[in-house]
Amino acid sequence: MNARTKRRITTILAYVLAGIAVILTLFPIFWIFTISIKTQRDAFAMPPVFIFKPIWSNYIKIWQTAGFGAAFRNSIIVTIIGVVLALVVGIPAAYAMNRLPFKGEKSLSIWLLLSYMLPEFLFIIPMYVLYQHIGLYDTQVGLAIVYQVFLLPFAIWLLRGFFADVPIELEEAARIDGCSRLQTLYKIYFPLTAPGIAATAILAAIWIWNELTISLALTFDAARTVTVAVAGFRGYASIDWGSMTAASIVSIIPMFIFAALAQKYIVEGLTLGAVK
Amino acid sequence: MIKRSISIGEGTRQAKSRTGYLYVTPALIILGLTSVFPAVYSLILSLFHWDWGISLDFVGLGNYILYLSDPKFWQVLRQTFYFAIGAVSVELVLGFALALIINRLRWGMGVIRTLLLLPLMVSGIIVSLIWKILLDPTLGIVNYMLSLFGGPKPVWFGAQATAMPSIIMVDTWWQTAFVFIVLSAGLRSLPTEPFEAAEVDGASSLQKFRYLTLPMLRPVLLTVLIFRTIDCLKVFALIFGTTGGGPAQSTEVIQTLAYRTAFKFLFLSRSMTLMVIFSVIILAISLLYLRFGERQTA
Repeated sequence: MNARTKRRITTILAYVLAGIAVILTLFPIFWIFTISIKTQRDAFAMPPVFIFKPIWSNYIKIWQTAGFGAAFRNSIIVTIIGVVLALVVGIPAAYAMNRLPFKGEKSLSIWLLLSYMLPEFLFIIPMYVLYQHIGLYDTQVGLAIVYQVFLLPFAIWLLRGFFADVPIELEEAARIDGCSRLQTLYKIYFPLTAPGIAATAILAAIWIWNELTISLALTFDAARTVTVAVAGFRGYASIDWGSMTAASIVSIIPMFIFAALAQKYIVEGLTLGAVK
Repeated sequence: MIKRSISIGEGTRQAKSRTGYLYVTPALIILGLTSVFPAVYSLILSLFHWDWGISLDFVGLGNYILYLSDPKFWQVLRQTFYFAIGAVSVELVLGFALALIINRLRWGMGVIRTLLLLPLMVSGIIVSLIWKILLDPTLGIVNYMLSLFGGPKPVWFGAQATAMPSIIMVDTWWQTAFVFIVLSAGLRSLPTEPFEAAEVDGASSLQKFRYLTLPMLRPVLLTVLIFRTIDCLKVFALIFGTTGGGPAQSTEVIQTLAYRTAFKFLFLSRSMTLMVIFSVIILAISLLYLRFGERQTA
């Protein structure tokens, strides 16, 4: 067997294996989707039915189920507040840590890393007690603030990486032309690192949207998010697969749209810290 | 305002440092509230007995002794590590293999990568629900397919022997893409010259992998390993959504135990004690990895 045939065979093998990986990845989501458009009888049929008449009533039903629409809206609001907060607070901090040396910068870096690594419930229980006292329990703002314990380290870490790519000469030139630090940040950094800031915002949004642990403990009704609402369908799970699957699909869709639109940024954001 | 900032810019290091503080102050305030306050509060409260009531009794290290002398605690800790080590090793091997395979493709890499990335976009709780339906012992599609080949009909989440391996399998479906994405970026960032030289010298693929790819990729591998390990030790949603810690507590992990201790049994200070112990363990592991990484690169 010559080298060329050998190479051709390995390429074919690579495609076969990649194909298997794609099928194993997509099939569970596809199957859940088919269940969401089946009648109860079709969903529970054994052997499973592959050809059936699709129904969409499950998708109508979940919006009439107590609280699902409200939870969906809460998730959108918490996501927006959380992302904005992480960027507004994170951008100046990331900038200062790159370009304005100050005492204790190293400690701050370590502190950020620790906040990111430590387990949720270390933060959750004290915040629960505090929030009960100051009235932030079960509020969207309160939840978005607690999320910063993970989002802020994450955002600062990513943004520092992107900001480091901005040539320092450009900043110095702007400063000589009379720009203040804030103006430099606004006029030089924002346009040059816009894709990086977008990547940070998207990854932060995905993280918030999918978060369960903190939301489960710190919300009850008024600020309940979509993940907690979906978890609620689990209670009568064995009976109502239709609602469960339809609710799952509905809450996945916004993230899949993100993935399709911003795949490049997502990959860049996920890999930045590890590869650099 | 502009005048003042110019004078700061031209000023001393001290002035620069002062502006630095100004820029990080908001971050310090938020982190102080969300991470320093809870950590200190937990540390103090872990020395008391408190069950949401009005009485607060100082018990010293009583809560710690309670946990450390309780075989239940060690069992839950063992299960947490069982899950983490199992999931991380499977994901690392599969993700690495996938990165090497996809790297060989000539076309369609972008599409395949996007498709493989999708599970990462799904919330852990939804991943749990998806697999609870797929792995349903009587109505699930997986057992149906197994029956076509005359295979066994496992009860997956329902039996002590198979529950944890099933959750590890679900986590593998969910998170392997992370390992894959990071490692394939790592692979693409490697310089090509050493590989060309090895090719000229007639090195086999296996040799190239062992003596070039592996050592050059070590820092990336280590980063992936740290993040996956810490993430898996903190597992909550997957267990909460699939088994809830059962059957017979065989899949109980530290974070689900903390949740139940605080919110079901209402032993607040005990739950904080558990989290303080667990945080120390996580910090120790992170430091261990960091040390290991430094020695490798030094």
